[in-house]
Amino acid sequence: MTNSFDAIVVGAGVVGASCAHYLVEAGLSVAVVDRGSVAAGTTGAGEGNILVSDKEPGPELDLALLSQRLWTELIDVIGPAIELEPKGGLAVGYEQHTFDHLRAFATEQAACGVVATPVTGADLLELEPNLNPEAAGGVFYPQDMQTQPMLAAAHLIARGVRMGRITLHTNANVVAIPRDARGAVTGVETTTQTLQAPLVVNAAGTWGGEIAALAGVNVPILPRRGFILVTEPLPVIVNRKVYSAEYVANVASDDAALQTAAVVEGTHSGTILIGASRERVGFDRTLDWTVVQRLAQQALQLFPRLAQASLLRTYGGFRPYCPDHLPVIGPDARVPGLMHACGHEGAGVGLSAATGFLIAQAAIGVSPLLSLAPFAAERFDAHHVAVVHA
Amino acid sequence: MPIMWRSFMPNLPVNSVHIRIDGNDVAVRPGISVAAALLTEGYRSWRTTRGQQQPRGIFCGIGACFDCLVILNGQPNVRACMTTVEPGDEIATQEGTGHV
Amino acid sequence: MSDQRDIIIIGAGAAGMNAAYVAAEPGLAVTVVDANPCPGGQYHRRGALEQRYRPSGCSDENRWARVEILSGQQVYAVNSMPDTGHVLVRMRGDERHPHEIGILRARALIVTTGAMDRQLAIPGWQLPGVMAGGGAQSLIKGSGVLPGQRTLVTGTGPFLLAVAASIVQAGGEVAAVIEANAPAGLARHTRKMFPAAVAKTAEAARFAGILARHRVPYLTRRRVTRIAAGAVDTQGRACVSEATVQRIDSQWQPKPGTEQRFDVDCVTLGFGFTAQLDLLLQLGCAITDAPDGGLAVLVDERQATSRPSVFAAGETTGIGGVDLASVEGRVAGLHAAAELTGRAPATALVKSLHRQRRHLHGFATALALAFPVPTQWVNDQPGETIVCRCEEITLGDIRSARDDLGATDPRSIKLLTRAGMGWCQGRMCSFSVEGICGRQANVAAQAASASRPVSVPVPLGAIARDENVMRESAQ
Ligand SMILES: Cc1cc2nc3c(=O)[nH]c(=O)nc-3n(C[C@H](O)[C@H](O)[C@H](O)COP(=O)(O)OP(=O)(O)OC[C@H]3O[C@@H](n4cnc5c(N)ncnc54)[C@H](O)[C@@H]3O)c2cc1C
Ligand SMILES: Cc1cc2nc3c(=O)[nH]c(=O)nc-3n(C[C@H](O)[C@H](O)[C@H](O)COP(=O)(O)OP(=O)(O)OC[C@H]3O[C@@H](n4cnc5c(N)ncnc54)[C@H](O)[C@@H]3O)c2cc1C
Ligand code: FES
Repeated sequence: MTNSFDAIVVGAGVVGASCAHYLVEAGLSVAVVDRGSVAAGTTGAGEGNILVSDKEPGPELDLALLSQRLWTELIDVIGPAIELEPKGGLAVGYEQHTFDHLRAFATEQAACGVVATPVTGADLLELEPNLNPEAAGGVFYPQDMQTQPMLAAAHLIARGVRMGRITLHTNANVVAIPRDARGAVTGVETTTQTLQAPLVVNAAGTWGGEIAALAGVNVPILPRRGFILVTEPLPVIVNRKVYSAEYVANVASDDAALQTAAVVEGTHSGTILIGASRERVGFDRTLDWTVVQRLAQQALQLFPRLAQASLLRTYGGFRPYCPDHLPVIGPDARVPGLMHACGHEGAGVGLSAATGFLIAQAAIGVSPLLSLAPFAAERFDAHHVAVVHA
Repeated sequence: MPIMWRSFMPNLPVNSVHIRIDGNDVAVRPGISVAAALLTEGYRSWRTTRGQQQPRGIFCGIGACFDCLVILNGQPNVRACMTTVEPGDEIATQEGTGHV
Repeated sequence: MSDQRDIIIIGAGAAGMNAAYVAAEPGLAVTVVDANPCPGGQYHRRGALEQRYRPSGCSDENRWARVEILSGQQVYAVNSMPDTGHVLVRMRGDERHPHEIGILRARALIVTTGAMDRQLAIPGWQLPGVMAGGGAQSLIKGSGVLPGQRTLVTGTGPFLLAVAASIVQAGGEVAAVIEANAPAGLARHTRKMFPAAVAKTAEAARFAGILARHRVPYLTRRRVTRIAAGAVDTQGRACVSEATVQRIDSQWQPKPGTEQRFDVDCVTLGFGFTAQLDLLLQLGCAITDAPDGGLAVLVDERQATSRPSVFAAGETTGIGGVDLASVEGRVAGLHAAAELTGRAPATALVKSLHRQRRHLHGFATALALAFPVPTQWVNDQPGETIVCRCEEITLGDIRSARDDLGATDPRSIKLLTRAGMGWCQGRMCSFSVEGICGRQANVAAQAASASRPVSVPVPLGAIARDENVMRESAQ
């Protein structure tokens, strides 16, 4: 087996898988390296919402809209196994003023290409018959979708493996990123072997900062904890992805304290997922029952019928976030051959398709469909001074 | 030909607890579990799975496997092995998620 | 009543009840919480109308008067409060009252949640009429009802004898006992017979005598390879009618041409036991691997876990049977009480308990070595074999996740196939899945797949309304 590739992707999460997929589409041979299994990181600990609805106008929304298009194409490439469902999202306001706020937000989004339709009264209940009828109104976002992120990651990689274009190295911890005299990366060293490639993509999610550090650069990525509640399997009582207006405010928030705003969605298997909390507490996994209670209360406010449903389990993980809440995507000007594709916070599943696509464009030197400037890794350096390496 | 399946043990209290199983009045011994009551009435399964609609009854016997789910007094997904029968109980076989 | 207790014991089996009796020193508020309708645990299970369980040597009713026993209460979560060091015990009512949830606070906790039958997926094991061996015991002991008319008792370990003996004593028929190992191994491993194990050996001999009297064949180095449902019950629904048994090699691979058919309406399966570690894992207690290939919570001489004021005894510390559970329970009770009263327990008593524990422990290890359970063979069965009973995930599904999708460990198998995501939360399939992945030496990975943040389902409505949690968050 050869140890030499056109590109090495560190991280077999949904972002790494998408990068590998589009790199293969661009004609490159790729090694995907993960210290665990496929989807061992945050991809296996989150939900699969592919949302445009929660994003305010700006670079992240542009990325989300591109991703939304690409995901629709991916379904044809990888097939139904990834459980991609274009079910649409519904943001609900209980008070008149939150509904007004939602509508105003939707108008801004619509100017950027988001399809958003305010709905009230009977129309709202037609969309979501079990919704608490006291809601003042909602905004329906038909572009919102859902996938099963672990399956998405696994199938994207498996396809490349079947084609003979991706080599998957699981249980391989990357411990060093060697560089040549010029300072360019030459590949990665894992605990067991050395792999060579002129291009290394850092798709290590929440641990992206560690991989960057191995290459000698600073990329500040921190964990933002989230828990999700899973109910017993139920008949379909939630059709869309339904969330309360507060959710949007929380997503963009800088507050370190606990925030919860329930997003309620059904899954293929019949369980209902209620997510998710957002807290900055480092890598602490201890389940906090006050979080569980708040999520349960918010979910019940949306769907009173859920009161009878049992909580079967909870799970959670650590979203990879950057101080300015934007991901890090593209070549690192400080280290030739190093690219980043990490720090997607609570939207990595949704944004993975566009991220992989843009990385592949950069890899083959095509000018990117979207400007990568807002996502540049160097934006965190004081005065953008490149780190000089000994 | 269905297997007529009744347990028999000496020295046990008489069938004095009146309950209904799938609408039929039956009397069972006091203190036994709902699962045991169903078994003595000849049931070997009392729910179907939600995927393949396969029959399931008691398996682990101690509340760990959730195979023995049943509808008790209108409440679905009750573990029959963990519940003692009470007079007047309405027991009904369950299908799929147990919810309508 | 206040929610504050001095010592809370979770599990009213042999370990928990011995612990409670010993810990109930004057001035200490001791509470036992147990999911079953009445105390006794698995071994001392009894009908709801039978005489209450009192462990032998625990007859001082003045002591029992100080013990509060909450039956029909299932603990779904525990966590320690960083500020006070207290442990919060969250519980819900029984199956009739799942919405009734409560909370208790303890200065010290003793976890004696016991074990469950360890299972391995076999074609047909999901059919009505197939039961866990321990499950058959619980049906007989708890309700006086037989699991079937004619039963094949299969698996491995001396527990098969107990199951078969119970069945015949209750008037049932046992077609045969199918033991995968060779009992000759036991003699080899217990050559240095442990004095404390004499009772257990005598019990086994008694069971063997009962089976001999009932002419129950005891067939070794065989296992059941297929269970089929060719009959229907009184409701017209399919149930077990026959089982195929084959001779096996040391890795439990069946030998072709040795098929033997048994016409039975019940098959019991049991491949040892799995400790119930959910609550201990929630608390972050250190876990270790046990000689039987399973996990156990790590405890010191005092039965103390790695977490402050959290003790464990009985099957949670490694499968060892009821006598060891009783002794460990006493040790845990003594030391938990000592920690709170500041009075050291009598040295002679501690010494004698430690000695008994050492002997019983040695015997348990010998048993584990004499009845090993290889698991790789699970992988070589037909692809349509159901592995995850809840989600009806087949061996074929799991193999393709492993071979085609890059899932190398139980967690990723679960994420990619849903095996272990259903009602039972992997309690029934995890041992099989580990076997299919190739057994992992890695305790941390195994513990990860055994960890369950919610130990029993709780209605969302109950959680949303729980005033205890609201008080917590207000603090
Ligand atoms: C509770 C919760 C809910 C969420 N809900 C959504 C949602 O609905 N929609 C959405 O879009 N996003 C959601 N997210 C966010 C989303 O899960 C993440 O943004 C996304 O999974 C990140 O993917 P990734 O591939 O970048 O990272 P990961 O999946 O974490 O992958 C990184 C990989 O790198 C590997 N790795 C790390 N270090 C090394 C090393 N040294 N050597 C080798 N490998 C290494 C890790 O093992 C890991 O597999 C949610 C997150 C949480 C926690
Ligand atoms: C089904 C079964 C039957 C068995 N039958 C026999 C037998 O006949 N002969 C034999 O020698 N050995 C038998 N065993 C082996 C048995 O494990 C030991 O002999 C003995 O019962 C162990 O005592 P213990 O106190 O450690 O645990 P157990 O006796 O198992 O007691 C644990 C108690 O904790 C309770 N519990 C567990 N989790 C919770 C929770 N979250 N909240 C509240 N309560 C909880 C359980 O309901 C149980 O009452 C059986 C094991 C099982 C699983
Ligand atoms: S039989 Fe397993 S939960 Fe009742």
